[in-house]
Amino acid sequence: MFPILWVILGAVALLLLLAWSYFNRFAVLTNRIENSSAQIDVQLKKRADLVPNLVETVKGYMKHEKSVVQSVTDARKVLVGAKGFAEKVKAGDVLGNALGRIFAIAENYPNLKANENFLELQRELSSIEDKIAYARQFYNDSILEYDNLRSTFPGNMFASIFNKPVKPYLQIPESSREPVKVKFD
Amino acid sequence: MKEIKHIDFRDQIARNKRNSFFLSIVVFAVLIALGYTIGQFVRADFFGFMIIWIIFSIGYIWVSYYFSANISLVAVGAKKADPKQYRQIYNIVEGLSIASGLPMPKIYIMQNPQINAFASGRDAKNAVVCLTTGAIEKLNKDDLGGVLAHELTHIKNYDIRFVTLVAVMVGLISIISEIFLRSLWYGNRNNDRKNGNAILLVIGIALAIIAPIVVKLVQLAISRRREFMADAGSVEITRYPKGLIEALKKIKGDKPMKVNQAVAPLFFSDPTKSRIISLFQTHPPLDERIRILESM
Repeated sequence: MFPILWVILGAVALLLLLAWSYFNRFAVLTNRIENSSAQIDVQLKKRADLVPNLVETVKGYMKHEKSVVQSVTDARKVLVGAKGFAEKVKAGDVLGNALGRIFAIAENYPNLKANENFLELQRELSSIEDKIAYARQFYNDSILEYDNLRSTFPGNMFASIFNKPVKPYLQIPESSREPVKVKFD
Repeated sequence: MKEIKHIDFRDQIARNKRNSFFLSIVVFAVLIALGYTIGQFVRADFFGFMIIWIIFSIGYIWVSYYFSANISLVAVGAKKADPKQYRQIYNIVEGLSIASGLPMPKIYIMQNPQINAFASGRDAKNAVVCLTTGAIEKLNKDDLGGVLAHELTHIKNYDIRFVTLVAVMVGLISIISEIFLRSLWYGNRNNDRKNGNAILLVIGIALAIIAPIVVKLVQLAISRRREFMADAGSVEITRYPKGLIEALKKIKGDKPMKVNQAVAPLFFSDPTKSRIISLFQTHPPLDERIRILESM
């Protein structure tokens, strides 16, 4: 009689302990995902803040490339107005591509390339570009860890008990897979 | 595969925290034993001496724990990096911190023509990374990324806590026993104590001889697996093994550097560049590290 009671009590205690640890692990990973998406956001904003400066500097030199310069201004506008994480990331990619084109074209303007202000902006933007890439990588790593916990036993059971949804990976956009012909160094 | 690696890192963190704790206990015990032995030669108040000695020992461990990073930075003569002058370094470290989910460490620079680097501190929030001027001059952006990501992995794994504690705590034991040994040699010629002291004298000498050897062995035992793990962690952060490989190759062609023996295990690559294999090596050989990275 007694041993059975103890076994049941022990099993319940073990289950509670397990639930407690999984609950916390899910909480930690969810926080990490949120934190890493905030990181991406910060970098996207930093980049958007530098764009008007860049446009000012470039305008005087690139008289025949008005449409390219305009596309950067437009992309920035879309990014600043974007709501929600997915939309922001998408707008960020468009802006990144537009900036890539500007820097590629800048290769043909020796005067512009000698401009100290432009070089400074180019350096700064390229380092932000790196940081965005790193932030996305960390975001995807965090999602992977969350996903692993969600889809393996017994995490999958607790995931449905605690109602933890699937979270999407950030896709690397098609266009940015092609190497942009810009030398940053 | 990925999951296994993460569990490995968690094991490593737990191991480092545990080791740091035990190291503190062992160092405390050794200090007390040393104090007791030295106390036998103190003519005056033995208990008074021991009380002061115990307070000193506790204070010593406390200071080592909280100021280990500062002590190691002072030991190599490093200065805080100017954010304007070293803009690129700050940018690289910030990017890598983002990629590894760590807070941004403080950045220090030490004047030295050899390519090298180290990280120190008690945890990620109080971490520092230090680069030699040689590393900044001779390495390009990708190489530096590899080296710095290696150091960030040491931070992430809590290697910095244990290794710095070893360097700082153990460094002093060797100094104390050395002083003790020397004073025995010169100071006790006309000792007229009774023969009970002869045993203590023997113990004292034995301790003084053993302490530095133990120190050396501890130093040697700590680094090798850590270095391989940090290399792997570096690649996990940068996703670009070539940077780290290039950095290691450039170090291969470099000259050895002069640095305090106690802090040698902290460095990215063995500063002394000793060619004596196995027992007296704190770091795995460069060729082995390069080979493993190239196979990734």
